[in-house]
Amino acid sequence: MAIPVSMAMAATPTDSASRVWSMSSLKSALPSPSSFRLPTSSSRRPVTLRLPISSPSLPSFSGLSPVNPLLSIGLPDWQSFENGFKIVDGGGRVYAMRHGRRVPKLNRPPDQRKALLRGLTTQLLKHGRIKTTRARASAMRKFVDKMITLAKDGSLHKRRQALGYIYEKQIVHALFAEVPDRYGERNGGYTRIIRTLPRRGDNAPMAYIELV
Amino acid sequence: MAASIDPLVVGRVIGDVLDMFIPTANMSVYFGPKHITNGCEIKPSTTLNPPKVNISGHSDELYTLVMTDPDAPSPSEPSLREWVHWIVVDIPGGTNPSKGKEILPYMEPKPPVGIHRYIFVLFRQNSPVGLMVQQPLSRANFSTRMFAGHLDLGLPVATVYFNAQKEPASRRR
Repeated sequence: MAIPVSMAMAATPTDSASRVWSMSSLKSALPSPSSFRLPTSSSRRPVTLRLPISSPSLPSFSGLSPVNPLLSIGLPDWQSFENGFKIVDGGGRVYAMRHGRRVPKLNRPPDQRKALLRGLTTQLLKHGRIKTTRARASAMRKFVDKMITLAKDGSLHKRRQALGYIYEKQIVHALFAEVPDRYGERNGGYTRIIRTLPRRGDNAPMAYIELV
Repeated sequence: MAASIDPLVVGRVIGDVLDMFIPTANMSVYFGPKHITNGCEIKPSTTLNPPKVNISGHSDELYTLVMTDPDAPSPSEPSLREWVHWIVVDIPGGTNPSKGKEILPYMEPKPPVGIHRYIFVLFRQNSPVGLMVQQPLSRANFSTRMFAGHLDLGLPVATVYFNAQKEPASRRR
């Protein structure tokens, strides 16, 4: 409101030659913080400036409190916007493309996706070999391996975690009973995927997934 | 990324039931109009009767055919591996199993749980076997390797397998 008006008024004499805006012109345009001189009538400013800031007249110790960048624009040792504004995020990069994203979405919202994968792992552990689409088969490998790893551990806590994921409790108990014999020496890779002919209705690429 | 692309290795037929071999004979199996290729899906309703099997070779050679299921009763728990469905010996080359001696009558595939593999294994005999072998005591816990070793058949000369699962009781919509 007031400041851009003064900036425009003060900028006109300086950049009659060039249209480049620079910090020095801004600083000269803004009222200097050390003085509270009201604008004189000779400059014919229609708006009187009121400085809302009183802190710049203090000595320049600003160690303990973080300098508010909005307040420090007029300070003599202020150089740039970057140090004042701290951006708080998780360190996550956002790309416009899918680069680096490894979670298969399976064309479903997250709740349905989780339910689909729970159902598929339950059926695979029950039947031993199932036939699904290739995308689903390769997405469920991780969760089948997780369940078998829980069963390998065998403690009560892990059993309850498995019961929270698999839909049928008989399958969990059978899994915990037989996994140590069957997969005791094997480290990971408890499933195998065999690609097969596409499905007739929609030509979807199919695969058998089976427990090794 | 498979170590081998041979469908018998990928489907673990070689490994669970057989050892690695080099096919030296041709065998074609037909269930009705359907020709069996490795890993194809067959409905048990089409397998009520024994298939038509054509075996290549000279008529003075004798062959043995064994049909087993290594995934009995369920692929996740194959406690009855293998379940033998059919054994025919003394088949002259170039003909079909009706000309041989049927040691174990044909039983149709009835997979209770899961998708089962059904494997046809063909061995070449060194000598007529007719009286040396009798019917196995039970179809369960059969071992094709031990059977071949007992009759001195060596490695198989041809193998093909198919998948079958229980059909839903009601007609699929």
